[in-house]
Amino acid sequence: MTSKYQHLYVVIEHEEGKPLPVSLEMLGEARRLMDRFNKKYSSSEKVVAVLLGDGVCSKLCEELIFFGADVVIYADSPQLRYRRNLVDTKVISQIARSRDLVAKFSDTSGFVKPRYMFFGADSIGRHLSSTVLAELESGLASDINKLVIEDLEIKHEHKTKGQTMKYEKTLEMYRPDFSGFLWTTILCLDNRNPAIEREYHPQACSIIPGVFVPIERDASRHGMILDYVPKFDEERDLQVKILDRKIVRSAVDFDSHKAIVSFGKGIKDLPEQNIKLVAELAKEIQAEVGVSLPISKKPFSISQGIDSTYMIPDRVIGTSGRKVAPLLYIAVGISGAMQHIAGMKESGFVVAINPDENSPIKDECDMFIRGRIEDVIPLLLEELRKQRPTIEVKK
Amino acid sequence: MTTKTLNVAVFVKLEPDFSEGNVSYNADGTLNRAETKSILGPHSAIASNAAFYAKVKYGARVAVGTMGPSIAESALQQAQLLCDADELHLYSDRIFAGADTLATAEVLKAGIHKVEGGNVDIVFSGHRASDGETGQTGPQTAWKLGYTFLGNVIDYDVDLQSRLVRAKRLILLQGFYDVIEEIEAPLPVFISADPSYKAFFNTVSQRLALGKYQKEAKARAENYKQYLKVLNAQQLDVNPKLVGLPGSPTIVYKVERIPKAKASRKAEVVDGTNREQLAKVAARMYEVLEGMVIK
Repeated sequence: MTSKYQHLYVVIEHEEGKPLPVSLEMLGEARRLMDRFNKKYSSSEKVVAVLLGDGVCSKLCEELIFFGADVVIYADSPQLRYRRNLVDTKVISQIARSRDLVAKFSDTSGFVKPRYMFFGADSIGRHLSSTVLAELESGLASDINKLVIEDLEIKHEHKTKGQTMKYEKTLEMYRPDFSGFLWTTILCLDNRNPAIEREYHPQACSIIPGVFVPIERDASRHGMILDYVPKFDEERDLQVKILDRKIVRSAVDFDSHKAIVSFGKGIKDLPEQNIKLVAELAKEIQAEVGVSLPISKKPFSISQGIDSTYMIPDRVIGTSGRKVAPLLYIAVGISGAMQHIAGMKESGFVVAINPDENSPIKDECDMFIRGRIEDVIPLLLEELRKQRPTIEVKK
Repeated sequence: MTTKTLNVAVFVKLEPDFSEGNVSYNADGTLNRAETKSILGPHSAIASNAAFYAKVKYGARVAVGTMGPSIAESALQQAQLLCDADELHLYSDRIFAGADTLATAEVLKAGIHKVEGGNVDIVFSGHRASDGETGQTGPQTAWKLGYTFLGNVIDYDVDLQSRLVRAKRLILLQGFYDVIEEIEAPLPVFISADPSYKAFFNTVSQRLALGKYQKEAKARAENYKQYLKVLNAQQLDVNPKLVGLPGSPTIVYKVERIPKAKASRKAEVVDGTNREQLAKVAARMYEVLEGMVIK
């Protein structure tokens, strides 16, 4: 009999048939993990992409195979055009538990549920992963940026009743904490303590967008595409109605600016004055203003206008905010926590303004201006004004 | 108008206060928990505001709940001040300690069953805690309760007659654009308030009610213990195997400092007080920016 838990299921997100970047990134990491897994354990477990949509699926299914999936299971229905947590959770859980589907691509003699499951850590995936794993009654780690599969020796008061036990094929899920300096490894483990015995699978996580690299698109890859006809309980599952759906663009516009000036906790000596300096610098070079995550938690009390303009989640650059890649990125008083770097490392030229040469940002910038913000920016502004090009740099 | 009142509940959390002067960091940049004060989490405050909106606009009865040791009472008190809660529930038991999100959701579900005989129409929670930052507990509690989960809600209203909620949700589609969705769902629902949620009180009668309830909230919060019920595992009727560490599928295996990445760039160091050097920086910046124009 085969293992009760097999394969890695990746829940795909797309907008009108175009995959979100995080979906391809997850497939890339899933491919790498399962290639290593199958070699190490001489097995042939699959990367299974799970896709919900309405009439857009067949082309997308093929793409998902080109980007690393072995199998694509798609549920195609007008009811699944846009994401609704309730019905999506039901359908994904049905798919995860379906032996009939698994029978089409592997031996199902023991199959109960997937071994691993990935979701995107974004507006949709964060909630969807939570409800799906509540339904499947297993563990979930959020905002992961590193994954390893290992056989681990575990000794745990509750899980193993203090005994040392071997947990094979365990997914180590690494998540950076709010400071960006600590990494916590989360494991989802069966309770083997006889008093509370219980199996917890799939081992699931949500993955930070922009962290993993997709595999190179390979149109010669082959895979299996499976059509799943979802079952709805009309009364219960379809009661949420989408009345209107509007595409909006944030007032904060990182994409159409060539430069971004961001500030972090380093403004703390004179927060109000320093934010004004940052804004002035941004204006001079027609840049958008960004912030690091701690700033959005409003660590300083400053005048309401500046607070509500700048210290807001919309401006956060990093894994908890936006990913940007301007020509010029100026990091003012930003220490360079990993979660911020992940959001700006693709920038063309990076300048840091910081008094502390030991700050991690120094290894992430092309030019490190050593000095206090309140001293450096006024001088830099003067020099920029002296050299201001006669033809304005257009946005 | 139906005579049936609206019952709402809000879940809050006591969190480290990340504001300057209150937060303390260790030399290695990690949070010094012993030295850092605790407050009602900012997202919990937003959820409380969303519940208060139901009180002002629909005269809803409001209950606030949290799980934690007795110190977590202060989160309930601070939330009461924001939403004029009629009752405060602290779910407190040693066996709840160490719970992951699924095991926490089990306790919170039991907590809802203790509010108005379980007849709660809307449950509110914050977007995520500012320390744990998973954002999973809300939706998992909703699922266990069998409530429709509505996430990222920036605005909502209730039609008391048809018992329908209309809400706007903000969805960020990374790599594409943002979407504002207007949806309708029958009660009961579980709403997780988006960080950008703001309550608006447009009519004179709403503003009058607002003033009245704010005053009441202040008086109540001063005597919050009068409204406080502390419930342990037994009183909540939870299965001890499904809460705390035994009920948590996940464990924290290890915590380590994130190793310093290889330097991805080689920085030229400039003295920020040296005008000549800054003149070169300015020139370089313009070069970089103009490079784009040629492209």
